[in-house]
Formats: sequence, C-alpha cells, structure tokens
Amino acid sequence: MALRRNRPGLAVCAIGCAALALTACSSSSSSSSSESSESSASSSSAAKTVTLQFWSAYNTTDAEASTMANVVIPQFERENPGIKVDSVVYPYADLLQKFLAAAAAGDPPNIMRSDIIWVPQLASQGVLLPLGNLPWYSPIAASALPGPLATTKWQGQPYALPLDTNTQALFWNKSDFKAAGLSGPPTTLAQLYADAAKLTIKSKQQFGLGVDGTDIWNVAPYIWSNGGGFTNASYTSATGVMSDGGTMAEVTALDNLLKAGDIGSDFRGGSGAVSGETGFPKGEYAMYLDGPWAVPTYTALQPPPDYGIAPVPSGTAGSISTVGGEDLVIPKNAANLAATEKFAQFLDSQFAQLAMAKVGQMSAIATYGPQEVSATPYYSIFVQQLKTAEARPVSPGYTKLDTDFSNELAMIIDGKVSVSAGLSAAAQQSNTALSGS
Amino acid sequence: MARPSAAAARGRRIATPYLLLLPAAAMYAVFTVYPLFRQLDISFYNWHIFPGASNPFTGLSNYGQVIHDPVVRTAAFNTLLYAVITVPAQMLLGLVGAAMLTDRLPGRALWRALIFIPVVTSWVIVSYIFAYLFNAQDGLANSVASLFAGHAVHIDWLAQTWTGNGVIWLVGIWKGVGWSFVIFLAALDGMPRELVEAGRIDGASEPVLWRKVIIPSIRPTVVFVLVLLIIGASQVFTQVYLMTQGGPYDSTQVLFTWAYQQAFTNFEFSYAAALASLIAVIVLALSVAEVQVLRRNPGG
Repeated sequence: MALRRNRPGLAVCAIGCAALALTACSSSSSSSSSESSESSASSSSAAKTVTLQFWSAYNTTDAEASTMANVVIPQFERENPGIKVDSVVYPYADLLQKFLAAAAAGDPPNIMRSDIIWVPQLASQGVLLPLGNLPWYSPIAASALPGPLATTKWQGQPYALPLDTNTQALFWNKSDFKAAGLSGPPTTLAQLYADAAKLTIKSKQQFGLGVDGTDIWNVAPYIWSNGGGFTNASYTSATGVMSDGGTMAEVTALDNLLKAGDIGSDFRGGSGAVSGETGFPKGEYAMYLDGPWAVPTYTALQPPPDYGIAPVPSGTAGSISTVGGEDLVIPKNAANLAATEKFAQFLDSQFAQLAMAKVGQMSAIATYGPQEVSATPYYSIFVQQLKTAEARPVSPGYTKLDTDFSNELAMIIDGKVSVSAGLSAAAQQSNTALSGS
Repeated sequence: MARPSAAAARGRRIATPYLLLLPAAAMYAVFTVYPLFRQLDISFYNWHIFPGASNPFTGLSNYGQVIHDPVVRTAAFNTLLYAVITVPAQMLLGLVGAAMLTDRLPGRALWRALIFIPVVTSWVIVSYIFAYLFNAQDGLANSVASLFAGHAVHIDWLAQTWTGNGVIWLVGIWKGVGWSFVIFLAALDGMPRELVEAGRIDGASEPVLWRKVIIPSIRPTVVFVLVLLIIGASQVFTQVYLMTQGGPYDSTQVLFTWAYQQAFTNFEFSYAAALASLIAVIVLALSVAEVQVLRRNPGG
C-alpha cells in the first residue's frame, strides 16, 4: 500500500499550531466567562429612573434573599423615588469570579455584598472605590463593631462598609453531657480537652468534639484563645507567630485529641467527612463551634436537638472567636455613584439592619445590638463573643495564606510532618503570600 | 455575456482557498493567537485585572517564581505521570477495541456508539459521576470493596494522594479511549486488506502481522493520535478541579489547576500567565520533537 506522507515542515507547523491553540484555549477559557448580560445601571435607558445592580450571595433557601428583595429594597425605593434596585443573587462560589469578570470588562455592578476576606484582595487589584473621603463614611464607621470594621481596610484606607457580621460559639449537646456526668459546658480549653475525652463513645460513633476542617476559620478560635496567631499585627509576616508558642501548643493539643479519637471525621475532611452541623443533631459530635445560622436549622428539626450555646472556652489569652460576615463594596468605575452611596447608607440604616437581623444577618453596627438581641434572644451569646472576636489576617494574600496553613495542618494530622516542621513550613509559605501586601 | 479572462479565472482560483480559510483564520487569530500573545505580555508585568490600574513591569520575575515554586514541581510531575499512564492506555485500548470491531461482528454499530458515548459526555458530568462512585460514604467502589473484604469499607479514595491520582487517571482513560478507538477504526478500515491477507499467506503470526504490517500501515494515524493525546494530557484540568481540587495538600495538583487557582483564587494573574506560557512552550517543543523523531525513524 502506498502510504501518502505529508511534507514534514507542514506537519510540524500544523502540530505546533494545534499545540499552541489547545494550550492557549485552556489557559484563556476561564477568563472568557464574563457576564455581558449583567448590564449595570448605565445601560438603563429610562431618563429619570436610575436602576442599581446589587450583587450578593444571600441564601435563597431561607428568608435572607427574599427579605432583602421584598422588605429592604422596597422600603429604600419608597424613600428614594427615582432609584430602583435590582437584587442579583449568585451562589457564593460564583460571586467573586462573576464580579472579577464584570470588573475586568468595565461593567461591574453598582454595589456588591462581599465576603470580608475578599475586600483586601479586591482593593489591592485597584477595583474598589476608597470610601474614607466620603462625608457619610465616618459616622457609619464610628458606630461599627471594631472586628467587622477591621475587615474593611487595606493599607490603612477603608474600601468597604461593614454590613453584617457573625462569629462562632460552642454548641454543646445537653443529653450527651448529662450522660457523661458533666454538669455544663467547658469554660477553659483544658476542660474542653478533658470533656472531649469523656464524651467520646467509640461504640456509638460519638466524638467529643467536631472541628470542621484545618482552615483558619475553623481552628483560629482555639489558637487565638490559647495565645497563638497567624501573622504579626501589620499582616506582613507569619514568622514567630504561626510557628511558635500558643499556635504550636494548640495545634499539638488538637493533634493529640485527634490521635486519641476524640475529634471526628470532619477535621480531616474529604467525602467521608460529616460536618459539625450535620453530625451534631444526629449525636455524632457532642461539641463543636458554629455560628448563629445553625439555630434556625436546628429549630426546624423534629425533634430539635437538646443543646446549649456557650462562649468559646478560654485559654491563656481569653475566649477569642473569629469575625465572619460581609462588607459592602463599591467598584471604582460604577455608574450612578450618588444613588449607590444612598443605597449603601440605607443598607447600614436601622431599618435595613434590623430587618436582616431577623433572618440571621447579625448587624455589624454596634448600636443596633440590643434591639437585635431583644428580637432574636439567641444572638446574645454571639454578640458577647463578637466583643473579643478577631479578624483573620486582613491581607490580599489571605486566601493563599489560609491554603498554606490548612495544607500544612492537614499534613501534620496525617502524620506526614511534625507539628514544628509543618508550622515552620506554613509560616515560610505564608510570608510569601503576605509579601504582596 | 463576456467570458472572464484567463488571468481573472486564475486569480479567482488562487484566491478561493484563502477566502474559504478566512473565517476560520479570523476566529483562530481572535480567540487563540491574540489571547496567547496577551497572556505572554501579562506574564512580564504585575498585572491587575481592573482596566486602568497600574501594572508595573517585572521582567522575568514571574517566571522565576514559577520555577522555584514547589507546588509547580508536584503539578508538573502529576501532569507528566497523567500523560505517561493515560496516553498509552488510551492508545492500546483504542487499538484493541478497533481491531476487535474491524471484523464484521454482530452489533458493531452499537458497540461503536457505546465506546464513543463517554467522549461526547460532558467532563463535568463525568467528573461528578466518578466522584460519586468513589465517595467514601456510599460510593460503588467501596460497596464492591466491602463485598470482597467481608466487612464495611470506607476508603476515602479522593482524599488520598495515590488513590486520588488513580481515579483521575481512570476518568481520563475512560473518557478518552473512545476517541482513539474511532480514529484507529477509521485507519484500520482504510487499510488495504490484501496486505494482511498476503502476510497471512506468507505464514506470519498475528503479533508479527501487527508489528510488521498493520502498525506501519497506520503509522501516520498513530503519530496523530499520540501527539494529540499528549497535548490533551498536558491540559488535564476538569476532573482534578472537580474531584480533588488538587488536594490533599496539593498532592494531586496538575499544572492547569494550579494556574487556575493562582489566577482566580489568589489573583496572581501574572504568575498564572507565566505558568501557562511555559506550559505552551513545553508542549509545543514536545510535539515538534515527537513528530521529528517519529519521522526520522519510520521503521521503529
């Protein structure tokens, strides 16, 4: 058979082009997903009515998104004729990338409810409008809780408004405690470890403590309370903080608890892990840390679990939990800035804050604390915990730092590295992440 | 009507192929060549995504970071291993399947369709199905393992380095084998049967027939499949991103998941551009070298 052979030069050229095409497609395909359909207010053709795009990741399975759309926004529109607000809700996992793509295309929303950890990242990209010189900013900042306020700044300049906040406290199963002969929740970390051992019943697949992962959100309350930490105060270095003293002692304590079988599957993660919120009402975990959003979930269960909520047990540094929540950010080149500023102020007003507090969004404004606790009594423990709660490192490199720490802690509990070597490596990698700050 | 002149007809004959190529060439230029050079451009700056933001020139520093990044070494090793495992497996299984279905077997069309279905199924769907099959709680893999073990088995396949990598390879082979099968089937169907028959008359055994007659006859197809599979393997992404997210502790990371994570999680766009540019150069060099070597040694 006469096999036809192509000229080698042409074949090489064709293969080369194919290689380049395929690699270029692969590397560029992700960035081509801009949402051109999400037009901002600038495209509105109405002469007198301004329509603002408000992007968020409010939960649509409970009353968060509907309260914003049906209670808060209509009230704002009544008070501000000529301004309409279009609430666009994305899944949490998609929101940041949608925003990035829209901002890169020069067509961002007017305002976005951003996870607090995204603020320095977005600010460092030059995407956000600095708010410090706006006349209405200072009064709102002055009334905000210090923890949430700390999450709004990058290089000393505010780029966001605190909107809602939360933190974690200790959920404890009263029936399990009673069965173990324990009278109440632990108040110190030493008691927590001892109680976790007493509450673990291997034959029942009951673990004394649930820790929902190796990332900073889940382990920081233990580490901070024990006098440890992740970076220095200026968020420029992890050396001497992440790899020393209280951090090392607490990681060792958690590692020992896991090795003793007193911490459940959630610490290692993976598809076999049962999260604290799933395992706690089923009796798999006798204690774990969680936020205020767990309470409505448990109230809806039949029968609801018999549980209490207590402050994070104190260590040498006290009872310190992690600040969570969301901030409001305004893109630098967003259209209709005056109307957007009005809406931003309204979202931090008493009406909006208390309306959203009723559906699980605790206010970041300190002055509304008593009113929200009076309307939602179980907030009291979280409001108390927020007074000492700390913000995770406010740095554009936080996401990478968190991944570095989490990976090294996972290696430590898997026995791949020692506590000392793992935390030293984490600190070294984190320094690289922080170097861009 | 006046007849067109010979020169005009000649001009039209020369221009026609270029005009026909123009739409594809334009698409290629806009969606491939431009992004490629833009990516290369970004890799030399500390690039920010926001239009108008300051983007300082950093020279080769992003490339330096890529080269010294230990995760890149792990990701490069995993990508190489993925190619070494999945490319020969896809070629071998595709060739065996094609050889079996070249003869007029009953239900040939049905078998062809069944083998090809994974190729046209979405990577996302396939990845989620495999993640479910290898779930530690109630996955099929553990159910089968439990039958053999005689007790409940809860292996967390995707949360461990080598089992996680194994599932990633399995998905790649299962999803890709149908493509090489169809290409080989076409090549075998197009091969003159008298060559094989002459070999049989001369007393050649089946292995000898394959080695001396069939494979050399479909050699251009083998080269084509090999090169495209290697390029495809260098781009492994979706199943890693969806099934293991590169974990545990970056041990199943591959080059493009790491580039993606750097760009869209850590906002290190220039670093990601540098990494993607290096991958492009390496794949280009590999592909060219491969074609050259195979053409210089047509017999072996």
